[in-house]
Amino acid sequence: MSAAPHEDNVIDPPHIERAPSPATDEPSTAARFHIFIVDSGWNSAAHRVLVENFALIRNLQKDDPIYVLSREQSIEFQRHHGSRIGRDPIIAVHDMEALDKGGAAGFHGFRLSLGLLRTPQQALMGLQAFVRFLVTHRRSTDLEADIRANLRREGLMGAIEIIMHHEVREIGE
Amino acid sequence: MPERFGEIMTMLMGALALGYVVYEIERRRRKLHDLWDVLDGEDAFLTEKLEDMVESGELRPYTGMTLA
Repeated sequence: MSAAPHEDNVIDPPHIERAPSPATDEPSTAARFHIFIVDSGWNSAAHRVLVENFALIRNLQKDDPIYVLSREQSIEFQRHHGSRIGRDPIIAVHDMEALDKGGAAGFHGFRLSLGLLRTPQQALMGLQAFVRFLVTHRRSTDLEADIRANLRREGLMGAIEIIMHHEVREIGE
Repeated sequence: MPERFGEIMTMLMGALALGYVVYEIERRRRKLHDLWDVLDGEDAFLTEKLEDMVESGELRPYTGMTLA
């Protein structure tokens, strides 16, 4: 991909360290997920939270490879998918089991648009929920159903909180 | 007459409160689905592109412990 021109509203790109050799660095077990991080470098709370907590995410998620797009690749991605601008960092998870079974035409993973979370606390909670879901559902036999159930549960919790006048789980304000 | 007025006001306030709860639940549901999105046929092109980048070696597993 071609390099995008430098823009004032982006900060320095994530430092990309290339793997020495796939043969020596591939996860020991078959990867259930391929995880992709798209981050064009907006100076946002979500970007900072991702950078500050990446080592922990890496350690918790050792069984599946994480692919980090360079800033240039991320900007190129955003240029082709304009509606996603401002939603990054985006973490896309491909469910390799679903991809092997049915290709990309049906359900094959999920995506967290971390950049929609405006405060550091919201971004951190979103990231923690994301990693928790990945770790606890790695062996799921029906990931799509699990995700939809999770969303329903979150929606229900939100409804209860509205009724109880609590705002602690407020998202993205 | 005042009793009737009171009843109407109570019903009106109740309907408004219920409407607010429904609106707020729907707003949060949309926000949650914006944040967490499933990948399906609409994302097929992008998914295949990313997997092609992996296959071709353009993208490799990130082994570093820091992003910046």
